[in-house]
Amino acid sequence: MKIAVVGKGGSGKTTTSAVLARTMARRGRATLALDCDSNPNLGISLGLGEEVTERLVALRDAVDTGEEDHASSPDELVRRFGVDAPDGLRLAVVTAIQNPQPGCP
Amino acid sequence: MRVAFVGKGGVGKSSLAGTFARVLARTGERVLALDSDPMPGLAFSLGVERVDHGLPDEAIQEYEEEGRRRYRLRDGLTGTGAVEQYAVRGPDGVHFLQLGKARGPRWNNTRQHFGFQRVLDDLPGAGWSIVGDLPGGTRQPFMTWGRYAETFLVVIEPTSASVLTGRRLAGLAATDEAPRVAAVANKVRAPDDVEQIARRTGLQVVGAVPFDPHLATADRLGVALLDHDPEGSTAVAVASMVDTLRSGLEPS
Repeated sequence: MKIAVVGKGGSGKTTTSAVLARTMARRGRATLALDCDSNPNLGISLGLGEEVTERLVALRDAVDTGEEDHASSPDELVRRFGVDAPDGLRLAVVTAIQNPQPGCP
Repeated sequence: MRVAFVGKGGVGKSSLAGTFARVLARTGERVLALDSDPMPGLAFSLGVERVDHGLPDEAIQEYEEEGRRRYRLRDGLTGTGAVEQYAVRGPDGVHFLQLGKARGPRWNNTRQHFGFQRVLDDLPGAGWSIVGDLPGGTRQPFMTWGRYAETFLVVIEPTSASVLTGRRLAGLAATDEAPRVAAVANKVRAPDDVEQIARRTGLQVVGAVPFDPHLATADRLGVALLDHDPEGSTAVAVASMVDTLRSGLEPS
């Protein structure tokens, strides 16, 4: 199952995504939560705290500044730009990058 | 004064910007309210009837530069002229101009997008105050949609995500041409909310607006807060913020 949560700012996208993801993980599904927001806060709603959330965002931003290499595959993207979250799910920050390279996932 | 409201989605940028613009206009200033959010909400908080009123196609001219398609205001049309011709008059005499609503992925708004930016580069100067409502989030607002502003007001509610967003915006501002950035605490519930917001973002708090159930009711009804609850806590707090900013910016 692949679900995308969309809507107006402040309507509850991030909270809905987090509760959906953790509920699915609790029911035993292997769950990947992707934060595609240019202002990524899903880590907060999943319960990871500010420090972990900011670390992921900084890592993601480092791709734009050239300090961090682009991921070469979707698996690598989720591994390098992700973190384990409560209930056994995985969170990755995958905000659109500014200067994608050919073949960039 | 020229101010622009920024901050996380849903913190109340449009509600406060619209109220701010009208309260400022009531002090006798000529106010232009700008909505550059492709999901616009400023018309509601201003109480302007037309919620989707971008620059018409005829205002914008296509031209070619080094083989690339570009857009500018049509020959003879200045930014000030565009404001005079296309801005809608709202309550309290506020002039209102907006980017216009995004109409899904197939609707190409490149024309409006660039046309609106040309207006931002040539806004009316003397005798005008400008109040901008910017899109939510942390996409560089200082050099783009808010580039006309002298002061950026980061609206922050007492939640982790909103404070983090405020901190990210403060960081972005610090690395640019150091625009004046201040915080507005919104939906304040606890006695130490304002202090926490100041401490955790490093920003000066120039306004504190209490949590206001009347605002939710006004939003549900689709009416401006100032018309729904003209003397309520939000109106009072915004009026105080207008005073603060006016005294801080005068004489200009």
